[in-house]
Amino acid sequence: MNRTIRMALTKGRIEKDAVSLLEAAGYGCAGLRNKGRRLIVPTDGGEIDVVFAKAADVITYVETGACDIGIVGKDTILENGSSFYEMADLGIGRCRMVLAAPQGSDFFSGYAARRVASKYPKIAADYFSRKQMDVGIIKIEGSVELGPVLGLTDAIVDLVETGKTLAENGLEVVETVCEVSTRLIVNIASLKLRKAEIEEIVGRLNAAKGAGA
Amino acid sequence: MKQYNKITPEGTKDRLFGECEKRGGFVRSLRALFESRGFREVSTPVLEYYDVFGTARAYFPQEGIYKLVDHDGRILVLRPDCTIPIARLIGARLKNERGPLRIFYHQKIYRHASGHTGLSGEIAQMGVEFVGGDLPICDVEIVELACRSLRSVCGSDYQLELCHIGYFNALVDSLDTDPATREQIRELVEHKNFPALDLLLERFEGCPAQKALKKLPALFGSVSVLEEARALFSNEAADRALDALADLYNALSSLGLDHLSLDLGLVNQADYYTGIIFRGYTAGAGEPVLAGGRYDELIGEFGPARPATGFGINLDLLCERAEGTAAVPPPRAAVLVDAKSPVTEAFSLVERLCSQRFAAELVPVGDTRDAPAPEGFDRVFRVVDGVVKEG
Repeated sequence: MNRTIRMALTKGRIEKDAVSLLEAAGYGCAGLRNKGRRLIVPTDGGEIDVVFAKAADVITYVETGACDIGIVGKDTILENGSSFYEMADLGIGRCRMVLAAPQGSDFFSGYAARRVASKYPKIAADYFSRKQMDVGIIKIEGSVELGPVLGLTDAIVDLVETGKTLAENGLEVVETVCEVSTRLIVNIASLKLRKAEIEEIVGRLNAAKGAGA
Repeated sequence: MKQYNKITPEGTKDRLFGECEKRGGFVRSLRALFESRGFREVSTPVLEYYDVFGTARAYFPQEGIYKLVDHDGRILVLRPDCTIPIARLIGARLKNERGPLRIFYHQKIYRHASGHTGLSGEIAQMGVEFVGGDLPICDVEIVELACRSLRSVCGSDYQLELCHIGYFNALVDSLDTDPATREQIRELVEHKNFPALDLLLERFEGCPAQKALKKLPALFGSVSVLEEARALFSNEAADRALDALADLYNALSSLGLDHLSLDLGLVNQADYYTGIIFRGYTAGAGEPVLAGGRYDELIGEFGPARPATGFGINLDLLCERAEGTAAVPPPRAAVLVDAKSPVTEAFSLVERLCSQRFAAELVPVGDTRDAPAPEGFDRVFRVVDGVVKEG
């Protein structure tokens, strides 16, 4: 029954920082850095099998128990549900989810119904529902900034790290929707059935984070 | 026109042969166990009025419920839960029954399975409700039955986890807070979201309960967490909850039950449960396969208040994950018949084979004299010119 603990790790933006954090926590990461095309790679000491996955899939694998632990952004968690334990903020991948509109426009004025483009329709819908605003949300997969630029929408809800892309496309931040960072999530049954092993991993990652990795 | 006439709706599936037989084995052993303890079966309709799930204690989030409208414009739902309809039945139909009621059920619940997540929209559940007993020994009975249920299906590969909602309630009651914040705290404890919980609790700096709430999600594992919890926070209500939990744990241990653990942060459905809460896990299933607890105020929504406790088992999850204990199917016998075979000969042969514990099947062929023997049968008979021959 006791297979190696599986960790789903989000590919891309946060991958490098997450691997560095694992390394700082004492897990050998030479294999992870040179994974080639492999999708499942063990840490050098064989403590954890790391599964590389797209962000939303990390949630799916952890919710269903296909993986025991996941490393994924808060944005993905907010967008995709929460039947798991969210046990630590790893402090990496920090950015903001914002509402942005063309520079000089006043998004909140007037009576006309607004349209907003987003890769995160649920986060956008929750945000406007909290504001008691009736807003049409259009899901865009790629560069969301195109929404207002093409005249399709009045604004966007999207992640912003530096704000450079916004500025270059004539957009500015209207309001912060929420702060985002990378989280450690754990499958509900795994935590209970393999408490000691998982607590050790969570503890080591938390300690590595505290050490300023 | 696109026709959806060859597939089943999302979240549902057909189950064939082996899967049904395996489930049948589980159902038989659980049924025998429940009946041996005096539980009697009830069934409630798949359709219920929406209002049944709309009262304060019986509240069920509407997003997950399939709804229909009847001919008078009333909203109906496909039952999303088994216990609430049974509480309705007890409150309305069994209100004059004195003494404890022991009830079990085996029926399906329906929940919206959102887009392609592999989650089931139709879930077979089997469970028990014990109404009218609020002594500690009643909790022992139900949790002991839960352990035995898991053991009968999963062998020793299970874990049963205990909590008492009273400890969490005592902690938040001692804070000066509004219902919305209270719910936020509960949600963060349920998800073991330490960072967000720390942030939210900052404003209660100095309250004795603050430190305990911050640690609450970590208070799970062996029985020693009870002492930790007591050291962190103590008042009359908190002590009562911890004492009840300790007594239950000791009672179960004295009955030789192991695979027990505790999680004081198990605070899901805090409005529904009023005392002991428990969950069962088995390896390979990513979510609990068993969930239950004491709900002393639910039946009062539908009739005279009565204390009650019970649990439900997710049969689908269990069937997928646990090793099967399905009975070995009987040997198969074929009886070849054609248009000229006399009915009486054929059927008396079938009856004879059945009495010898065969599964006997009539196999229609063109001509029994030269038809090849069909595959997959342990024995093959044919009726030729009114005479039975084997082979």
